[in-house]
Amino acid sequence: MGIERLERMGWKNKIFDFLNAVFLLLLMLTMIVPFINVIALAFSSGMASMQPDIILFPKDFSTEGFTTVWKSLNLWRPFMNSVIVTVTGTFFHVLLTSLAGFVLIQPHLPGKKIIISFILLTMMIPQDAIMIPLYLVNKDLHLINTLSSLVLSGMVSGFSILLMRNYFLGVPYEMSESAQIDGAGMFRIFATMYIRVAKSGLATITLFEFVSRWNMLTAPVLFINDSSKITLQVALKSMITEASATSSNFLVTTNVRMAGILISIIPLIAIYPFVQKYFMKGLMLGANKE
Amino acid sequence: MRTIKKNAMFYIMMVPIVVYFVIFAYYPLVKGLQTSFQDYKLMGDRPYIGFDNYDLVIHDPSFWDALWNTLYIGGGILIVGFIAPLLIALSLNEVMKSWFKKTAQMLLYVPHLLSWVVIGGICIFLLSPDTGLVNMLLMKIFGMNPINFMADESWARSVMIGSAVWKDMGYNCILFLAGIAAINPSLYEAARMDGATRWEQVRYVTLPQLMNTMKVIFLLNTLGIFRIFDQIFVMRNPAIASKVDVLMMYTFQKGIMEIRFGPAAAASFFVVLFTLLLTVMVRKITRFDEV
Repeated sequence: MGIERLERMGWKNKIFDFLNAVFLLLLMLTMIVPFINVIALAFSSGMASMQPDIILFPKDFSTEGFTTVWKSLNLWRPFMNSVIVTVTGTFFHVLLTSLAGFVLIQPHLPGKKIIISFILLTMMIPQDAIMIPLYLVNKDLHLINTLSSLVLSGMVSGFSILLMRNYFLGVPYEMSESAQIDGAGMFRIFATMYIRVAKSGLATITLFEFVSRWNMLTAPVLFINDSSKITLQVALKSMITEASATSSNFLVTTNVRMAGILISIIPLIAIYPFVQKYFMKGLMLGANKE
Repeated sequence: MRTIKKNAMFYIMMVPIVVYFVIFAYYPLVKGLQTSFQDYKLMGDRPYIGFDNYDLVIHDPSFWDALWNTLYIGGGILIVGFIAPLLIALSLNEVMKSWFKKTAQMLLYVPHLLSWVVIGGICIFLLSPDTGLVNMLLMKIFGMNPINFMADESWARSVMIGSAVWKDMGYNCILFLAGIAAINPSLYEAARMDGATRWEQVRYVTLPQLMNTMKVIFLLNTLGIFRIFDQIFVMRNPAIASKVDVLMMYTFQKGIMEIRFGPAAAASFFVVLFTLLLTVMVRKITRFDEV
């Protein structure tokens, strides 16, 4: 009888595993199918892409969507603006916050506690709720319509500083002390010892910053209205929503829009392997610590 | 002497950080509060007018519409966006083949990485009545008439909630999975010794052990309710605006579109107030401090 029960359980288990797998597969399809649809449309001709049909494979294959969006609609300019803002912004963010994290692990630094609470308090301020005064501050500083306003937006964050600090705390202080006695300068100790140990921390904040800057929408919408300085997300947004509402722009066929979306995704797809390696691990660590 | 020099260098490294936070975090907060009590004009003097801006906002029906929309859409995202990834995490946890598990995690995470412009754009397109994939499927497989999801008031909020849940499902799912991975395996062993079925293991081991992770995720997601902006900014249109415009959208419109900074700043402070209230409430309910 015991064996019979075990067999029945094994049978039930198999049914459950099967249904479970089907459920997950269906879920994955809701992720895959829309993207296949987007890719297929981007590589279809303008006429074919506007037809009411289920398109999962390029119809009347053509790359005119890409050439139209890139050259005729000048998407290359916002694309370059986004590249500039993302790269410089990420660079300064990582540099400044990692240096700050390094300062905040020094054991005998007077006023360290005050600085830490000063930084912690900034994390309580809801960024979106100060949207209006932030606009006014940027206006007073004559930063409106400059890419600098976008580089400055979120250039430092309490989250990154504390994350880097946590990683640096993993380096035993005695190690850096003995290096100091050997005559190594502070910057050298930072660059050789700490950066090496905190590599995955650096990777995490770099990726996090890269992704959020590339996707940034509120700041450019607030600070930029000069069409030569808008970023990729803003350009795409107006292409997707305004063109579909007024359809006066004959250039913006569906394949053109989908090509624009694909172009904006490429940098993110390019870094996805690294995201998986560092980012998700960082996420897991963060969640476990709570 | 050497330590002084060394410390000086450390302080110099902190200067940009402190200056940045003063200009772009603390000062705007104070300036926002100040602006909310002023008749703020870009040029000329800015007289203080007491609580007039707050008064104006309170008596503006579209402010209350925006608050209700925020609570409806935000609450929907909070609840569905909590349950769905939890179910998926539990389901993924039952998968034995690690390649399948990894592929699923990887795919589900992708939308979280993309901007709301991309996700919103894809949604608008997929849901469009004449060429969208969703309506094509509804028509060809179920023989239904096309539904204009993006222009129909009765669908608008569900579309917002659904797309937001879809976008962040993978992210929250990974957080839950991390919590599940941290559960002591000997608990499952003991449960199996006692003859617990798989469902019983989920019910009596996984779920109770996951309580802390669930509280943290719920609390963090609660704070997001009043921050919804990008999504609505991309996906709204005049036909459904009254059903989906949230508080941040109201602030944006008052401040940036109508250039009435005083009322906009006052509305922002209501957002801050509501967020604080909600945080206190959720902390009380989940007894977060006891964790």
